[in-house]
Amino acid sequence: MMAPFFKYDLFGDEFSLIVAVLIGFGFGFFLERAGFGSARKLTAQFYLIDLAVFKVMFTAIVTAMLGVFYLSWMGFLDLSLVYLSTTYLVPQLLGGALLGFGFVVGGYCPGTSVVGMATGRVDALVYGAGLMAGIFVFGEAYPFIEGFMYSTDMGTITLPQLFGVPYGLVMLVIVLIALLGFWAAPSIERYFRNKLTEEV
Amino acid sequence: MTVATNLAPSEPRRQAAAPAIESRRGSPFMNPYLAGIGLGLVLLSAFFIMGRGLGASGAFSSATAVVVEKVAPEHARANDFYLGYLESGLDGHTMKSWLVFEVLGVLMGGFFSGALAGRLSPTVDKGPRISIRGRLAFAFAGGILMGVGAKFARGCTSGQALSGGALLNVGSWAFMIMVFAGAYALAFFVRRQWI
Amino acid sequence: MSKSRPPWKWNWIFAAVAVVLAAVSVGGDPYRGHVVTLNTKELGMIVDAKVDHVTAEELADRLIQGRTDQRILDLREPTSYAEYHIPSAENVVLGDLVDYPLYRNEQIILYSDGGIHSAQAWFLLRAQGFPGVYMLLGGLDAWKDEVLFPSLPAGADPELIAEFDRLVQVSQFFGGSPRQGSGEDFTATPVQMPTVEPPSQVPVARKKKKHKEGC
Repeated sequence: MMAPFFKYDLFGDEFSLIVAVLIGFGFGFFLERAGFGSARKLTAQFYLIDLAVFKVMFTAIVTAMLGVFYLSWMGFLDLSLVYLSTTYLVPQLLGGALLGFGFVVGGYCPGTSVVGMATGRVDALVYGAGLMAGIFVFGEAYPFIEGFMYSTDMGTITLPQLFGVPYGLVMLVIVLIALLGFWAAPSIERYFRNKLTEEV
Repeated sequence: MTVATNLAPSEPRRQAAAPAIESRRGSPFMNPYLAGIGLGLVLLSAFFIMGRGLGASGAFSSATAVVVEKVAPEHARANDFYLGYLESGLDGHTMKSWLVFEVLGVLMGGFFSGALAGRLSPTVDKGPRISIRGRLAFAFAGGILMGVGAKFARGCTSGQALSGGALLNVGSWAFMIMVFAGAYALAFFVRRQWI
Repeated sequence: MSKSRPPWKWNWIFAAVAVVLAAVSVGGDPYRGHVVTLNTKELGMIVDAKVDHVTAEELADRLIQGRTDQRILDLREPTSYAEYHIPSAENVVLGDLVDYPLYRNEQIILYSDGGIHSAQAWFLLRAQGFPGVYMLLGGLDAWKDEVLFPSLPAGADPELIAEFDRLVQVSQFFGGSPRQGSGEDFTATPVQMPTVEPPSQVPVARKKKKHKEGC
């Protein structure tokens, strides 16, 4: 049991920044490979004509989820040392909805906008400026909403803990939901593309 | 084989349908499932090496905090939100933080992949029914919504949905459902921008 | 179908692998909980090598230098902690230690009144895989004798007196009072513990770390 390496102090803060660049490189590489540097590709998800966002996102979640589970189960990874953010339910629900609005209006999420910028998308650059403006608005309002931000604190909690079922069972349900989605995706895409062709 | 013949009549209609969103220039995009596995392995290595997930909006927050501090140092330091980011960098340098470097990596990785596929070019990504100026206005407005939303949720699609989702974090899954709900709810009203 | 796409059968293989992996794991829990495995040989060697402790003087030097890269844990009861504790120490009773937020890359210095509680805590933390755990040698008793109330026996030679001057300064830094003379004077003077700063807050270093990990 020597992982996560950083938490076992196998390397220091300075080296962690090099690791950050490498991990970010992989992140950006696969986002661009999937076509997520394009706002049209991303937002096609919300018109159901191209479900790549769902496919990539859920494949990634399933891969990492199973990987984390097996690495921990076999004793290589101490999962209790992997950072799990605290759940503040109501602020997160509100934030999620706002973020969803921002996604379909702006066309990117923060990570994909960086990929958009890297491949020369001017709209991604403007979006990034808007993102910073939004963070500024939030920052200025922060002293007034600090109490709300820490409301409905559920602590660090996982779905298996919430429902009182085994971790593995939740994983199986998520895998089956994802596969059901993947199986249905081509029909959904075909149906909505046809509809779009008729409309235009 | 009867299935195949049954499908045959619908074939021409399918040809006429709008195509998937494909790469406008350069090579076609990767099989989404393969890209997803690649992304999942990157995320897994972040968990395994660093004990943390991926992120993006945090780097924009650090940048915003630095700008605010440049303009009004005392104002920024009096605000817990900015202060948290200002003090989170290594050796007192706000921008010397893990997420900022990770996002620099994203920039390089995206550029590398785009160059490899011949997809680099200055463009404005939009549907055919909106002007460039209109698209840029929407992009800015969307960015503002996203910035506020990401801070309420304490993370964005990468930090919450992807990283927290893989760790079965309750808040992340609640967040993810709301992202899709919000986007679908508003999609109809901004459709001229995209399709 | 363009040639850069793998055949669709790969998608089916991925799907099958995911289902099998998820099905096998049903009922499993990846969190280790409180069960640990110990390398007793390694622990024994560390104890033998005497690299598992710091002396009161070394700790005092660190604090005078203003170093903040250590976590000092006070393992005594909260009431004793409230009366006096070493500056910047945090109060954790032994039962809460395993769930106390600590990082593997921190230097953790443990103390109790004598040495028993800190030795027990040392084993608990080492067993959990914390590499940088140290005990304050002699515990708070040693801290009092050597740092807060150093004593100079009567009739000491000049070398010892010079050394004592330094100890006096150290002692005063921590609000203690050096004692001179010997024998009966000694016990007669009631020992006045320095007043305690308000209970120490969560150290800044930890707060920063927490923040850095969010998105």
